[in-house]
Amino acid sequence: MKYIATINEREYLVDIIDEGHVSVDGTVYEIDFEVVSGQPVYSLLLDGQSYEAHVYTTEEEWQVLLQGRLYPVRVEDERERRLRTTLGGQMSASGEFQLRSPMPGLVVSLPVKEGQPVTKGDVLLILESMKMQNELKAPRDGTITRIRVKAGDNVEQKQILLSVI
Amino acid sequence: MFNKILVANRGEIAVRIIRACRELGLATVAVFSEIDRHSLHVRYADEAYLLGPAPSRESYLRGDKILDIARKCGAQAIHPGYGFLAERADFAQACLDAGIAFVGPKPSSIAAMGDKAVARATVTKAGVPVVPGTEGEGALRDDELLGLAPQIGLPLLIKATAGGGGKGMREVRKLEEMPGLLVAARREAEASFGDGNVYLEKLLEGARHIEIQILADTQGNVIHLGERECSIQRRHQKLLEEAPSPFVGEDQAFRQQMGSVAVRAAQSVGYVNAGTIEFLVDKDKNFFFMEMNTRLQVEHPVTEMVTGVDIVKEQIRIARGRQLRYTQDDVRMNGWAIECRINAEDPYNNFLPSTGRITHTLLPTGPGIRVDTGVYIGFEISPFYDSMISKLIVWGETRAEAILRMRRALEEYKIIGVRSNIPFHQTLLDSHRFMGGQYDTRFVEERFSMEAAEESKVYQPEIAAIVASLVAHQQTQRAAHIIQRGERDTSNWKWLSRWERLQR
Repeated sequence: MKYIATINEREYLVDIIDEGHVSVDGTVYEIDFEVVSGQPVYSLLLDGQSYEAHVYTTEEEWQVLLQGRLYPVRVEDERERRLRTTLGGQMSASGEFQLRSPMPGLVVSLPVKEGQPVTKGDVLLILESMKMQNELKAPRDGTITRIRVKAGDNVEQKQILLSVI
Repeated sequence: MFNKILVANRGEIAVRIIRACRELGLATVAVFSEIDRHSLHVRYADEAYLLGPAPSRESYLRGDKILDIARKCGAQAIHPGYGFLAERADFAQACLDAGIAFVGPKPSSIAAMGDKAVARATVTKAGVPVVPGTEGEGALRDDELLGLAPQIGLPLLIKATAGGGGKGMREVRKLEEMPGLLVAARREAEASFGDGNVYLEKLLEGARHIEIQILADTQGNVIHLGERECSIQRRHQKLLEEAPSPFVGEDQAFRQQMGSVAVRAAQSVGYVNAGTIEFLVDKDKNFFFMEMNTRLQVEHPVTEMVTGVDIVKEQIRIARGRQLRYTQDDVRMNGWAIECRINAEDPYNNFLPSTGRITHTLLPTGPGIRVDTGVYIGFEISPFYDSMISKLIVWGETRAEAILRMRRALEEYKIIGVRSNIPFHQTLLDSHRFMGGQYDTRFVEERFSMEAAEESKVYQPEIAAIVASLVAHQQTQRAAHIIQRGERDTSNWKWLSRWERLQR
């Protein structure tokens, strides 16, 4: 089974040959890959070298924490990749970004208004949780649409707070 | 003399205190909120009583309920830990009125040091230098504070009068931003301490935060246990502490000078029990009193590791009216200790707190390592309390050994289910400035970045690519497996719902 793993815009062609072998960009390695006690911790023996990694999933990528360094990895098989390239890259640039609450908490303030243009890094909302005030920032430039909460609201984890287009 | 103690706290510190009581042969009583029913402190204590719902206001801040429980179960002493009721003079007084010993200072000392403005005025009288600010002015209105700001000079800090831990604190760099920052600081102070009063303090740049641990008994003996270096902070929250301070180092005269000034500050309020004097120290070794914490500190273990004194046990002995077991000459610092606060925060995402269930955890062990924690597998990190998971403390013969040991321990430490700041500590310990002891209180915010540090680490994208592909592959295979198994051996309805789930 062939996969395309993308890290920092560089693509790696990973071919899972069988249980004990993979190749990366044509180089074949002998591997022994185990999940540690059913947890998202993985032990990889690669040509005798021992690696341990934590793997987290987010909606669009895998995050591999390896020896204190975090690698965001997008993994696609050939079909998924064809789909994405034909659908075009405009989706991500002009699509709607929905700001979701990263944790349960209380909306302290909303320094933005609907229709207001924002630039990357602007504070969109202040959320109080774990006795701290956390600033949620714009991940890219855009315009605020549809604010769904107001100051004083209690919000749940992953609740949509507002959108940026 | 008491022999049953109620611990009015939760989490790692409640566990820490219960352990000390166990070793002293005292009976222990835990109190807990509804969501802490499964917590370690509840399970370790001899008795445990429900306080109320999860929010602190309805549970751990309910001094009246805690006193009722103490009376009913016959506890003759209360240890408040840190946070919650630890620095509330009214609660300490209520304990004494009820004939229950409060393991901490006299209510009058808490009141004097707890109102930071009064504290500064008091120690100034005792000849202790203080940082310029609105000292001893009491509760001022916004317009008064705005008027005083130019006299103190910028940059300055707005701090909560009742505060601590960086809550209700704001930094002012431009005068025109100050009104908005005052509103935010008061709001946060009100939410955290139920008191929205704030004061101003000059911000010393390039300064270090060094504090002195004090022990004082009821017979009037006061000693200090040396210093702790707490300059590694982010948004005024301490993240890593060490003892001794690399800045003080071999300068015994400087250490004793700070120590004796700290003792004098404690004596100025007739202090009893364990306390900490926090100093800001500039690069020329001038030091200024910041505040006194009239309680046990989060970072007390580093002092315990280098002095061999069990501070919690000593607190209890003092509360029982015993004389200190040490004189100043008995106190020796041996080796080096470092503590990393392990928080449920994502260092890759602006240190945003992370909630969730700890599904798996593996603690570091081996020579020279101590972990103080209240969590366990299945523990839920909730938004109701702070985000600290544990304190990882190491001891080494030298600072270099302590750093290498801490790196080893951080590598061994696994926490699964929530994000933790372990990668932050790993990156910090790898930085040259930290290794050289060259850092101040602004270091983490101004000269430290996870991204820049990442670049100097070994880059192994191929390994990451293999791991991610294998995990993705396993997941696809597992999904395919479910269809095969579900084919005929179970009801068609079940099969249909599984099929539907796959199609989503």
